[in-house]
Amino acid sequence: MINTALNISSGPHVRDRWSTKFIMGCVLLALLPATVVGVAVYGTHALLIVLLSVGTAVLSEFLFNLLVHKDPKGCLDGSAALTGLLLALSMSPSTPLYAPVLGSLFAIVVVKGCFGGLGKNFLNPALAARCFLLISFTNSMTTFKVDAVSTATPVAELLAGRAVNITSMFMGTSNAVIGSSILALLAGGLILWALDIIHGEICFSVLGAFTLFVGLFGGQGFDPAFLAANICGGGIVMGAFFMATDYVTSPVSRKGQLLYGIVIGVLAGLFRVYGSSADSVSYSILIGNLLTPMIDMYVVPKPFAYSKKELAKQSGAPKKTLKELVPRPVLVIIVITLIAGLALGGAYKMTEETIAIQKEKKAWASYQTVVPEAVEFKQVEAVAEIAGQTYGTSFGRVTINQAVEGLDASGNTVGYAIEVTSAEGYEGNITLSVGISVDGTINSISFTELNETPGKGMFAAEPDFKDQFNGVNATSLKLVKGGSSADNEIDSISGATITSEAVVNAVNAALDFFYNTIKGE
Amino acid sequence: MRVTFRGGVHPKGFKELSRRVPLQKFDAKGEFAIPISQGIGKPAKPVVSKGDSVLVGQIIAEADGFVSSNVASSCSGTVKAIEKRRTISGLSAECVVIENDGLYTPVDGMGKKNNLEELSNADIIEKVKYAGIIGLGGAGFPTYLKLSPKNPEAIKYIIANGAECEPYITCNDQLMQSESDGILEGMEIILRLFPNAEGVVAIEDNKPEAIESMKKALEKRPSKAKISVLPMKTKYPQGGERSLIAAIAEVNYPITKLPADVGCIVQNVGTIYAIWRAVEYNEPLFRHVLTVTGDAVKNPGNFIVPDGVLVSELVEACGGIKEGVTLRKALAGGPMMGFAMTSLDVPVVKTTNAVTLLAEDEVEKAEKQLTNCLHCGRCTTVCPQGLVPQLMADAVHVGDLERYEYKLYGLECISCGSCTYVCPAKRPLTQIFKQTKAEIMAAKRAKAGAK
Repeated sequence: MINTALNISSGPHVRDRWSTKFIMGCVLLALLPATVVGVAVYGTHALLIVLLSVGTAVLSEFLFNLLVHKDPKGCLDGSAALTGLLLALSMSPSTPLYAPVLGSLFAIVVVKGCFGGLGKNFLNPALAARCFLLISFTNSMTTFKVDAVSTATPVAELLAGRAVNITSMFMGTSNAVIGSSILALLAGGLILWALDIIHGEICFSVLGAFTLFVGLFGGQGFDPAFLAANICGGGIVMGAFFMATDYVTSPVSRKGQLLYGIVIGVLAGLFRVYGSSADSVSYSILIGNLLTPMIDMYVVPKPFAYSKKELAKQSGAPKKTLKELVPRPVLVIIVITLIAGLALGGAYKMTEETIAIQKEKKAWASYQTVVPEAVEFKQVEAVAEIAGQTYGTSFGRVTINQAVEGLDASGNTVGYAIEVTSAEGYEGNITLSVGISVDGTINSISFTELNETPGKGMFAAEPDFKDQFNGVNATSLKLVKGGSSADNEIDSISGATITSEAVVNAVNAALDFFYNTIKGE
Repeated sequence: MRVTFRGGVHPKGFKELSRRVPLQKFDAKGEFAIPISQGIGKPAKPVVSKGDSVLVGQIIAEADGFVSSNVASSCSGTVKAIEKRRTISGLSAECVVIENDGLYTPVDGMGKKNNLEELSNADIIEKVKYAGIIGLGGAGFPTYLKLSPKNPEAIKYIIANGAECEPYITCNDQLMQSESDGILEGMEIILRLFPNAEGVVAIEDNKPEAIESMKKALEKRPSKAKISVLPMKTKYPQGGERSLIAAIAEVNYPITKLPADVGCIVQNVGTIYAIWRAVEYNEPLFRHVLTVTGDAVKNPGNFIVPDGVLVSELVEACGGIKEGVTLRKALAGGPMMGFAMTSLDVPVVKTTNAVTLLAEDEVEKAEKQLTNCLHCGRCTTVCPQGLVPQLMADAVHVGDLERYEYKLYGLECISCGSCTYVCPAKRPLTQIFKQTKAEIMAAKRAKAGAK
């Protein structure tokens, strides 16, 4: 008699050999070349970062699964290891070792586990963790040390308009993140694409849109060397092939993927060209991740039988109205954006003149503050020649905007007020007026534009710092740390050296102008 | 005319097991249990009673209504009972049980050659209807209805489906090699009904012998200008009605339409052969081709099998199960669209084109690898209808059947199993859709009934 203990299930009864583990394994393997190059170039510390990151990711997935009563063996499906590896490869080789541990923990527990684990997270865990670390430990995450000396990454150099070595960027020997070998990343990424594990719709549209944007708006046109340097730096290749293509956080349909890739590419280009951070790629992919559910909601591919071509073939198909073609929420968002944009623009136009008058008033008020004896001010004519230009060579990017002579009631000169702007503040421009008496003694300084970091640079406006300038008679001031010992020494604000330096440079420029131009006349 | 459709998968074929074994007539010794419902539609009404003697080809149950088919006896002998028996689907159904006398005496008139010239189109359809022919590809839709569209002049393609894309199955391959002429004569009969149609014999290119044999036979026929043999790309589900129409007529049509609405009629080569036998020799459909295969069976083979034979008897004829092998799964049909049998002691019906016996159940292994959906999109890539299975499964999961039906067109799913096959997370997608479609249709029927 034939065995009757038969398995019963609904068809199909066969399965492809591809499994979650297989796919994750393929991606891990594809990242292996980049990892090997990274470790070979940056040494044991880089290896430790990789091991700690991957190890923590797998372990925290194991523990989290235990905690939420899931199968703890799920941590071995490769996805946690992949998250850990991607995080490690996107880190500086000199990152302190607590960063990969904390980052992986954050990625697995907060970004992935808390939202339901594999397949349920709405942000790429590795990227979210990277940004978490960037915000929490800005210094150690953005410091790239070669032989214990901090240096700028190629992208930072590029942004500053300096020349970079494209070959070393391509090979991965430049001073960047662990996984920065473009050659190794491309090799792995293209193999994944050929195996149809990652979708070309995403990786190539990211790269294409980014290149096009940088070419159009980067200011150097489609100069091959400039474009190559932009593509080889800043993680756009790793982002395009390994981060943006993450299945879970990218759209389902090929059309949606194309849209998603273009959005990421354009954003990355926008941040690269106009932004201040070198981390343009991470943020643009995260924004792309956030848009994914909306793209999936509206860009649902039609079955073949309902495509426009087929419907045309089968007569009597109802015509689509505009309302059906463009989903209502999209229309609403467009209208709101338009109204808000017009309102903002209109308000700016209307208040432009008032703002200018107010600015002028503020400036004159500050002259009064720094030269209190004066009842009337008269422009020093020589200032017209230098307005709008960088003043001198030793003060950084400083411009002298205005210089006025203060007169008392009987017409005698009682002092000068000089308005200086330094563009080298931590958060942008710092503008201040320096009051100088006829003998060259500084009366006081007064800020008209100061937008520095609260709790740090903003202390510049506090008497503790500002009043150090009062009554000083010197041709040039010096910035020192930890207490001034001489009259011409200004004690820096602790934790805000850049701000302090900008202020001292601005005052020095004013002094220089006073001694060489006003006095020298 | 293209050689394939969009999407599809490439499961391992396993056709080598049986593809070189010629068709063999299978004469059963034991009793026959012939279910009175073998295809889609209302069960037929038995017209014999206990104690009656019946002959081969005698109609033992008559069609009851429009969508229903006659059932003929496949042996001669005495009706033992008309009772509920377990059938191949696993459910109990009414069967006519016949004590086989082993003589296979044919009923009067069967086998007598008709002069085809004298038959009108109505005669042809009447003969097909009387013969109880249903689609042998698996669905079991009454063939005479398929041959009677509203507007026969609008039919452009008669497609003979010899794709046989399902893994393991090889009986149509063998049928096309040994009965090429019969199939072509059947095609000619069908083409008579449709003045503007051309005939296409669609065969997957993994069956070179069948293609060769059909081409050779076609060369000698007067109809060769109207019929062509088209080698198709080997890809599952190439043999699906919609896949063939998408390739040959280059039309994708929605579920609300029938193939005839887009100018096509698709018939399985086995069905076409049966049409020829019915029209030219007055032979009702009581036997068909079938493959017994799988890694658990000793001697896989292809057979001409009478309806009502027990599957276990067939398996015994193939030498039974291999020694030292445990039969884990027995499938009626192939592994993609076939269904698991609960027992082998069930009768073969017209739509049973294969018995696949497996020593290992891949589903068991797959269930252990189940993970959450990765959104990898492989299911979307392979869906031959252009659906998005992962979103459909999500919609079902959150209970949003409206989104499933209207936004994602979930009723367009043909249950081919491609999405489940490729899913790396091993999610039972097709299975979810089969159930959901059944639920939606049941709700619709209930609503219509209430009105």
